[in-house]
Amino acid sequence: MAIQYGHNVFMFDLKLNNLSKKFDELLAVNDVSFNINSGEFFSVLGPSGCGKSTTLRMIAGFVMPSGGKILIGDNDITYQAPETRNIGFVFQNYAIFPHMNVFDNIAFGLKMRNINKNEIIDKVKKSLEQVNLLGFENRYQRELSGGEQQRVALARVLVTEPQILLLDEPLSALDKKLREEMKIWIKELQRKLKITTVYVTHDQSEALTMSDRIAIMDKGKISQIGTPTEIYEKPANKFVADFIGISNFLPLEKKSYSGDYINVSFLNQNFQLKINEKINQEFSSAVLRPEHIIFNPNTDKDICILEGTIDIISYQGAIIRYIINSNEFKFISEFSNLPESKIFKEGETVKFGFDINNLVLV
Amino acid sequence: MNFKKIYISYRPIFLVLPTFIFFLVFFIIPVASLFIIAFDKPVTGVLALQGEWTLKSFLRIWNRSLYFDAAVMSLTLAALVSIITLIIGYPLAYLIAKTENVARNTFLMILVLCAMQLDMVIRLFGLMVLLGDNGVINGALMYFDIIEKPIGLMYNKLGVVIGLVQFSLPFMILSLIGIIRGISPSVVEASRSLGASPNKTFWNIILPLSMPGILAGTLLVFAISISSYLVPALMGGWKVMMMPLHVYQQVAEMGKWQFGSAIAVVLFLTSLLSVLIYQKTAIRIAGGRA
Ligand SMILES: Nc1ncnc2c1ncn2[C@@H]1O[C@H](COP(=O)(O)OP(=O)(O)OP(=O)(O)O)[C@@H](O)[C@H]1O
Ligand SMILES: [Mg+2]
Repeated sequence: MAIQYGHNVFMFDLKLNNLSKKFDELLAVNDVSFNINSGEFFSVLGPSGCGKSTTLRMIAGFVMPSGGKILIGDNDITYQAPETRNIGFVFQNYAIFPHMNVFDNIAFGLKMRNINKNEIIDKVKKSLEQVNLLGFENRYQRELSGGEQQRVALARVLVTEPQILLLDEPLSALDKKLREEMKIWIKELQRKLKITTVYVTHDQSEALTMSDRIAIMDKGKISQIGTPTEIYEKPANKFVADFIGISNFLPLEKKSYSGDYINVSFLNQNFQLKINEKINQEFSSAVLRPEHIIFNPNTDKDICILEGTIDIISYQGAIIRYIINSNEFKFISEFSNLPESKIFKEGETVKFGFDINNLVLV
Repeated sequence: MNFKKIYISYRPIFLVLPTFIFFLVFFIIPVASLFIIAFDKPVTGVLALQGEWTLKSFLRIWNRSLYFDAAVMSLTLAALVSIITLIIGYPLAYLIAKTENVARNTFLMILVLCAMQLDMVIRLFGLMVLLGDNGVINGALMYFDIIEKPIGLMYNKLGVVIGLVQFSLPFMILSLIGIIRGISPSVVEASRSLGASPNKTFWNIILPLSMPGILAGTLLVFAISISSYLVPALMGGWKVMMMPLHVYQQVAEMGKWQFGSAIAVVLFLTSLLSVLIYQKTAIRIAGGRA
């Protein structure tokens, strides 16, 4: 039942060059640049108000940039009207036309392209098949659930074979279970169609599971671009480390450099860290992920060993989270809840530690 | 048995009771009396009920082409005014609805509303100053030698239409603003992004979604226009005989209460019927979603 669209034939990559948008005094998007490869699933992730939607809306042509360029392939579309861009946009609220039924909604883009009637009927049918909505042709928006509206919105866009697909928090109005299903469904559809996709979200689990690459945005600027693994394991700065996953920020005192190593101290313990590409020279702290903490560590030379008491236990099913207090520094640690693992009690004194090679300096 | 219990179980009725009484005393009873009088024996100068039921008044209306012409005139002018008011009012309502700046929006709303704050008669006098034979427009045109004699802008159908449009424009704008403002911006953007030009987006998306406001506005303006006495009296100079003028003439000038009431009943039914037909057609055209 795989539907072959033109995407497999033509390749479209998207470039943003130094894109900016100013609303009066507010610099909502500040000098944003990235290249998205043809067929790539690219997410823009960041907290509310960081300028994600504005960036996406500039790509779609709904907002005029204050500066910079947008290119599809070699074609500069920065100041083109939205209707000439051939870009599909899926809105957070789906924006189904309320005065048209599902058929007319999906046919709308084709009608605007003056495609003949029989071909429209044919394409709409295939498109409905693709989103599992055959038989819904005559329904109106008010007769559709959120998930169905979402699929109509996708079908309506995909049937026009856009060069680029833009999605602005398309899952945020759905309940948790449906959201999980739709995540996988959208990702599979995207992979099948090989359509260049920009996906805006503030939900890190969506971005991490669906994306080929992620751009993390903060206050209008790009903080880091990388694969989900890079973003999680090598956060470029404190903001990224804090925003993605849970981090213990260990305040470090810089001592001295010795060759390829740097001497630092934390909680009156000295370590030597190897300087490599992941080290940010301006660092002031080290990121320690909760899953890198171990109990009763062996006394290897690269292991930092500490003692503390369990402050809080938070049981979460598959994992157990302990907050460990060591010299008034609170460590967040997470352990898989395996059958053989020992469960500590609140107030218990524990010996714990971590491998300093797992630290990321930010 | 217990008042509180009765009160709670019939609360909705209690809540609308004052309105209902008001409506009954000041609307239903007067209109109903009019209906009853219209079927009473026509006697000049007598308002009191005589109880001699007859269709004489209606037969007289039926037999005189004067009243048929008045009905046709009222209907066509009211329809024309509705259309003109819609064409003028829609862009203004759209502008106001899409003005996001609070200060500017408030200013525009005040402009619309202040038109409604002056008494009807005063506003019509203002129009007369503008449109009269010695008025501003004719004066200016003659001063610049564009015309030799005043062109008749008043005391004809044109004057009545201008007066009615001026009077009903705020009602049209207020009916439209809320509906236009309720059209989601993302629906408009979706249309653009799917390949529709601003022009196509207007005809395919914005206008159909404005239909409830257009329907409400035109119905309101139609009802206002067809029943207006003051505008045809002042702006038409009793030359454009719409039905309310006949009612006034019969009742106030000749004391023919029964016959005047009969004309009023015919006017009311004509208006009601045309509104119903219009609404049915409009809803059918809009596919049952207006
Ligand atoms: N049309 C506009 N006029 C003025 N300011 C705007 C406009 N649109 C957005 N902004 C401002 O620009 C900033 C970025 O907005 P944007 O909608 O891009 O954020 P976002 O990252 O999508 O946030 P969210 O996750 O809440 O959707 C915000 O501070 C917002 O208030
Ligand atoms: Mg947003």
